[in-house]
Amino acid sequence: MAKPQEPFFVGWGKVPKALRVFLASCAALLVVAFGALAYATSATQTDTGSGAIMGRTEVIGILQEKPYPVLHVIQSRHFEPGDSILLSGNGKSGAIDQAAGLDGKVVQANGFRLDRGDLHGMQLRNGQRGLKLAADQNQTLDIPVKSLGRWRLQGEVCDGKCLVGAMRPGNGLAHRACANLCLLGDVAPVFVSAGQVDGSAFFLMSNPEGEPVTQEVLKYTAVLVEVEGEVERRGGVLVFKVDPETFRVAP
Amino acid sequence: MTIMMAGMFYLYVGGAVAVVFLVFGLGRIDENARGAWIFRPLLIPGVLLVWPLVIWRWVVLMRGEEKLDRHRMPRIRQERAQLVFVIVIPLILLVSFALRQDPASLSAPVLLEAPE
Repeated sequence: MAKPQEPFFVGWGKVPKALRVFLASCAALLVVAFGALAYATSATQTDTGSGAIMGRTEVIGILQEKPYPVLHVIQSRHFEPGDSILLSGNGKSGAIDQAAGLDGKVVQANGFRLDRGDLHGMQLRNGQRGLKLAADQNQTLDIPVKSLGRWRLQGEVCDGKCLVGAMRPGNGLAHRACANLCLLGDVAPVFVSAGQVDGSAFFLMSNPEGEPVTQEVLKYTAVLVEVEGEVERRGGVLVFKVDPETFRVAP
Repeated sequence: MTIMMAGMFYLYVGGAVAVVFLVFGLGRIDENARGAWIFRPLLIPGVLLVWPLVIWRWVVLMRGEEKLDRHRMPRIRQERAQLVFVIVIPLILLVSFALRQDPASLSAPVLLEAPE
């Protein structure tokens, strides 16, 4: 007489009677357990905020080339005169090449609008379709430049494209590799501070001389850090001239 | 150049082994594969790379030197490993949550030197 065999489950076969209750319990438990785990994990994540790509736009403004390209708005349907816009290129690239030689000139920019609260950005179209000298070079704009002193800030180094709205999340550890790729592509680094200075918590970063600071910030991206430096207002944007020696991971 | 030639030769041989093994050999050593053809092209890339291993296993199984016993896992430590994972994975999650930096703990900006 053959030895009775233990019931054995295969996905495409009929469920053995003896295993029905066990399988139903396992299935129910998995749904509940993984649902609870998913909820618990997502509930502990930081809100990704309201950053978003807002559609096509065209802007005429004055270009500031250093430390990273910023456009100070003279006229636009979507931005207020005096707003300052961080410029970036397509994909994971900045706009340094496109902006070369246009410092202080009146330019016409074309691309996609990025927005996160009072932080504005724009992804330019390629080449001259994205950025070119405006026909009328006589337009002017008062861009106030004011030193705000030396500050110690705690917060996070992000890239100035994803953070502004190109990605969600555009910050945090989960976004670190993406942020570093953007920074290596010459997208402007932006410091998001735990508190505001002169009404803003977003700072365009530079080195103490006001030049790009990409290489020095790469290893601190997406980690909560503390850093010191001069803060300067240039139009609608705050420039944080960080002293890389003072970087340290926040407690 | 020699390395490239050697690599090409290796892959050509792998291609030949893949054709012979997948058309004639597989069904002989694995009864579950008999009459099943659609999945076989999926194995070609793997066979191209590990064809010496494929030939060795083919010979071993054809000679009957090893019995395929599908429902008895050869990994005798699997149960212990599972138990370890059950403990270690939640532990990793808990420790990572505990060590994670908390944005709420950050301090407000500090003015070190007022502007001149």
